[in-house]
Amino acid sequence: MSRSKIYASVALPGLCLLAANLVGCGGSSDVSATSTTQTTQSAAAVAGKAIFFDKSLSASGKQACGTCHVPSRAYSGDPATDNGLPVPIGGANMDQVGFRNAPSLVYASFTPPFSLSGGPVGGFFRDGRASTLAAQAQQPFVTDFEMANADAAAVVAKLQTSPTTLAAFVAAYGTTPLSDPTTALADMGAALAAYETEDPSFHPFSSKYDYSLGGQATLTASEANGLALFNNPGKGNCTACHPSQAQSFSEHALFTDFSFDNIGVPRNWKIPANTAGSVSPIDGAPFSTVLVPVDVPSDAEYAYYDMGLCGPFKAATGDVKARVDLADTPSLCGVFKVPTLRNIAITSPYFHNGVFTDLHQVVEWYVTRDINNNTGNNPNPVAAGPGGNPYQAVGTFYTAADGTPDLYEYNDLPVEYDANVNIAEVPYTPPTFGGGQAPTLTAAEIDDIVAFLCTLTDGYDPTNPTAYTVPAQCQPSAAASTAASK
Amino acid sequence: MTRNLTTRKTPASLTWRAVVLLISGALAAGSASAADESAQISAQQQQIDALQQQLLNIQAQMKQLAEQNQTLTRRLQYDEHRAESAQSGTTQPSTATPGSANAPGTAASGLAPPGGLTPSGNLSPPVAADVTPGSVLPPTAVSPFSNVKLWGYGELYYTHPTREGNKTEADLARAVFGIGYTFDEKTEFNSEFEVEHAVSSASDVGEFEVEQFYVDRQLNDYATLRAGLFLMPFGLINEHHEPVNFYGVQRNFVETLIIPSTWREGGFNVHGETPIGLSWNAGLTTGFDLSKWNFAPEFPQYATALDLEDSDSAPLQSTHQELGLANAQHLSEYLALGYYGIPGLTLGAAISTGDAAKVAAPPNAPILGNERVTLWEAHARWTPGKLDLTALYAHGSISNLAVANASNPGSPNPLPSEFYGYYAQAAYGAWEHGEYRLAPFVRWEYYTMGERYSGTDGPVVPAGLLPLSATPGDYGYWPRNYDRVTTVGANFYTTPHVVFKVDYQWFEDNRTFDRLDFGMGLAF
Repeated sequence: MSRSKIYASVALPGLCLLAANLVGCGGSSDVSATSTTQTTQSAAAVAGKAIFFDKSLSASGKQACGTCHVPSRAYSGDPATDNGLPVPIGGANMDQVGFRNAPSLVYASFTPPFSLSGGPVGGFFRDGRASTLAAQAQQPFVTDFEMANADAAAVVAKLQTSPTTLAAFVAAYGTTPLSDPTTALADMGAALAAYETEDPSFHPFSSKYDYSLGGQATLTASEANGLALFNNPGKGNCTACHPSQAQSFSEHALFTDFSFDNIGVPRNWKIPANTAGSVSPIDGAPFSTVLVPVDVPSDAEYAYYDMGLCGPFKAATGDVKARVDLADTPSLCGVFKVPTLRNIAITSPYFHNGVFTDLHQVVEWYVTRDINNNTGNNPNPVAAGPGGNPYQAVGTFYTAADGTPDLYEYNDLPVEYDANVNIAEVPYTPPTFGGGQAPTLTAAEIDDIVAFLCTLTDGYDPTNPTAYTVPAQCQPSAAASTAASK
Repeated sequence: MTRNLTTRKTPASLTWRAVVLLISGALAAGSASAADESAQISAQQQQIDALQQQLLNIQAQMKQLAEQNQTLTRRLQYDEHRAESAQSGTTQPSTATPGSANAPGTAASGLAPPGGLTPSGNLSPPVAADVTPGSVLPPTAVSPFSNVKLWGYGELYYTHPTREGNKTEADLARAVFGIGYTFDEKTEFNSEFEVEHAVSSASDVGEFEVEQFYVDRQLNDYATLRAGLFLMPFGLINEHHEPVNFYGVQRNFVETLIIPSTWREGGFNVHGETPIGLSWNAGLTTGFDLSKWNFAPEFPQYATALDLEDSDSAPLQSTHQELGLANAQHLSEYLALGYYGIPGLTLGAAISTGDAAKVAAPPNAPILGNERVTLWEAHARWTPGKLDLTALYAHGSISNLAVANASNPGSPNPLPSEFYGYYAQAAYGAWEHGEYRLAPFVRWEYYTMGERYSGTDGPVVPAGLLPLSATPGDYGYWPRNYDRVTTVGANFYTTPHVVFKVDYQWFEDNRTFDRLDFGMGLAF
C-alpha cells in the first residue's frame, strides 16, 4: 500500500489477565496457558517454549517473555499487571517502565523483513527495527526496562542455572554455544522464533470470521454489516491497511499489510515518559532509565515524543530500545507499523502508546479525528452535546496533561511534523473536505464495525458456539453501555 | 546461404543428360587411340560442364521469373480488390497488419496503403532470389534485407474533460514498431513492440511490451497455421487497432472494456479463407487469470474517461495475461467466422471459452468448481456509397464466482458474472481532395462491466465526495461501471497513413467524464 496508511497501531501492554495467571507469573516456567502440539515441533521450538515462559532468565527473576505477551490475551500485554499502565513494567527491580505498548505476537511470524523501498514495511517491534523474529526475540533479555540482563553473558549464566530450560536448549543446540554468549543468545532468539512459528497457538486462524468463510459459522447481521463497512472505501476503509483479503504473506487474511503510517494518535499521559519528572508508580522513586530524547523541534509543545521510525532516543552505540538509524529522516517521524486486527478485542489498550482502551473509542476517534479536534488545527470545530454532533466532545481525545483540551491536535507529535499525518484517506475527514464535516460512519455503524472486529478473536468453536468466551467489550451489554455513555 | 543451397542442387533431368553424354562419349572413344580418347573425353567434359552451368543459370532465372510473376499477380489481385471496394463506396481506411489476414472485409477496404507494407497480406517485396555471379537477375533483388519487413504506427492524444479541466492530459499513447521476416514463400514471422505512454521506467506509467510474436506457416491455399503470441480475431478493432483504422481519437469503449483490446494470447490457430468469401479462424490459447482481480481498490480505479481506458480495470482487461509468465494450467479455445462475399458488407462473429486461473479465495472456503470465462461477439459493417455503418455486440460471462464475491462484502469492485456492451456507428466520407479526406462520424454505445453478480448484490458504490487518491485534496465521486456514451467527431486524413482526429463525448452516468479530444495517428 502507499504512504497512505490509515489505521494505526493497536497497542497492548502487559501481564497476566486472570488471577490464576497472576499466580502463575511467580513460577519459573509457566507453560500451562498455551495449547501446543509438541510432538510435531522441532527441538528448537520446544526449547523456545521453555525459554518463553522462564522468568529466571530475567535480572529480576520475575519476568519472562510470557509476562508481557500473555497467551490468554493473544500474547499481548496486560495493563492489569502493570499497575494499570499501558506500557510494561520491568527492570532488575521491577521498577522501570517501558515506553510502548507490548504488541500481540500472534501471527507475528508472517511479518516480512523491514524494507524502505516503496515506503516502509515489515520488521519487528513497532518501529520495525529487528529484521527477523529471532533478532527481535533476543533484545528484551538485555533491555534495561524489560528483563534487564547486563549482557548476553548474563543471560547465558541465567540459562545455565535453569535446569529444565537448559536441558531443552541443549537438546536443540548442544552445549557448544554455551561457551560463546553471543552465539547462545542468538540461538535462544532462534528457539523463540521457532516456537512462535511452529506452535499453533501463534497462528490458529480459529475465529468466528474464519469459520464463516468456510460456511461453518454465520455472522450476525450486525457483524456482516460491520465487515461490509470495514471493506467499503467510502465508510470504514479499514481494509486499505488491514486487508480482509489474503496477501502474499499468508493464504489467510492477516488484517495488516505490515506497512507503516502516521495517523496522529493522541498523546497518552499515562506513559511516564510523557510527563516530566515522572516517578515510578511502584515505589515513587524517579525513573533511572530512559529518556534522552531525540532532538525535537524548537516549536514542540513538549520535551519528549515517541516518534516511531524516528525513534524516541538519541542514537547510542548498541542501543536496542528503539531504532536510531532513521532519526534524521523527518518525513518518517511519527510513523508506526500497522498491526494485525486479529484478536483485537482481547489486546486492549490500543495503538503504540495504548491511549485507547476500547474499540468503540478507537473507531470513533478515527472518523472524527479531524472534526472534533481542537482549535490548533480545525478552523470550524463542531460543538458537542445537545444540538451538536453525537460523538466525543471537542477536546476529549487530545488533552493536555491536566485533562483539558490540548493546544494542538496530533499532540503526540511536534507541530513541525503535523504534515506527516495521514489526512488523505477515508475515514479521516479533513476540515477542508467539501465543506462537509460529517463522519464517514454513524454511531450505529461504528457499533457494527466493532461487532465485526469482535469476530476476529481466535478460539471460536463452531460446533459449540455457546462455549466461546465472548471478549468483555464484545458482549451486548458493553455496546449498550457505550451508547448510553453518549 | 541461399545461393549455396541452389548450387548444390542436381536436378534429375540434368543428371540423365550427363549420363547420356558420357555413354555416347565412351562409345565414340572405342575406335580411337588412347591419346585421342583422352583429349576427346576432356573436350566433352568441358562441354558438359558448360551445358550444366547454362542449365543452372536458366533454372535460376526461371525461378526468379516465377516468383516475380507470382508477386505481380497478387498485387494485381489486391489492386482489383481495392478498386472494387472503392467502387462500392467504402470510406474507412485500413492498414493491414500482421493480424489482419483474417479480416478481409476490413483489410481490403478503402484506402489501404500501397502494397509492400503488409507482412502477412502476401504483398511483401519479392523473396530474395538465388543469385550467381554474372547472372542476369535485377540488382534490386539482391538486398540482404529483402526478407525483412518493417512497419509501425502510433498515436498521440490531447484529452480535455470539460467539467474537470484540471484533469486535462496529453499523451503519446502508443509508439509501435513491427518487424517481420519471410523464411520462404510459405513461412513468415511477425512481431510488434510497443511503448505505451512514451516513457517506460520504474518511476513512470509507461510500459514496454511485446504485442505480437508469431510464425505463420501456410498449409495450402485455404489454411494457414499460426503459433506464438497473436491478436485474437474478435470485433472490428482488436486486430486492426492502428489509429488510421478507427473513428474517434480513442478506441470505442465496448472494444476496450468488454473485448479487452489489444487482446492477445499465446497459443496456435489455424485460419483461412474460402473462395466464397468465408474466413475462419480456430485456435487454442492461454486464458485469463482471475487471481489478478482487485476486490478492494481503496480509490476509484479511474476518475476520467481516459483513466477508464488505461486503468485495466474492466473484467477481462485486468485479468488477461499477455503471455507474461502466464498461468497456463487451463487453456481456452476460440472460433471466429467472417463473411465478406458481398461487396461492401462484412459480417463476423467469434467466441472464446475456457477455464481461468482461479480467483483468490480463503483457504477454507467451499470450492464451487472451475471459473469459466466466455466471451462472444458479433459485428457487421456495411459501406453503401459514402456511408460507413458499423455495429457490434459483445458479451462476457464468468462462472462460479459466488464464494469469491461473498467473502468480500462491501467491495466496491466485485467480480461480475456477466458484462456486455454494444455500439452503432455511422461515418460519412464528406469531402475528398487528392489524398485529403474528411470523414465525420457519430457513435452511440452502451457498456456495463457488471450486468450480473453472484454472491453479492453488486458493487457497494461509496456515496458522496471521496478522496480519489492519496494526494490530500484530490476529491471526486466514485464512478459507475456502466455508461451510455455518445461520440461525435471527425477523422481528417492528409494521406491514408496520417490522420488528425477530433471528437466530443457525452457520458450519461459518469457525467464528469465528458470530454473533448484531439488526436493524431499514423501508420506505415
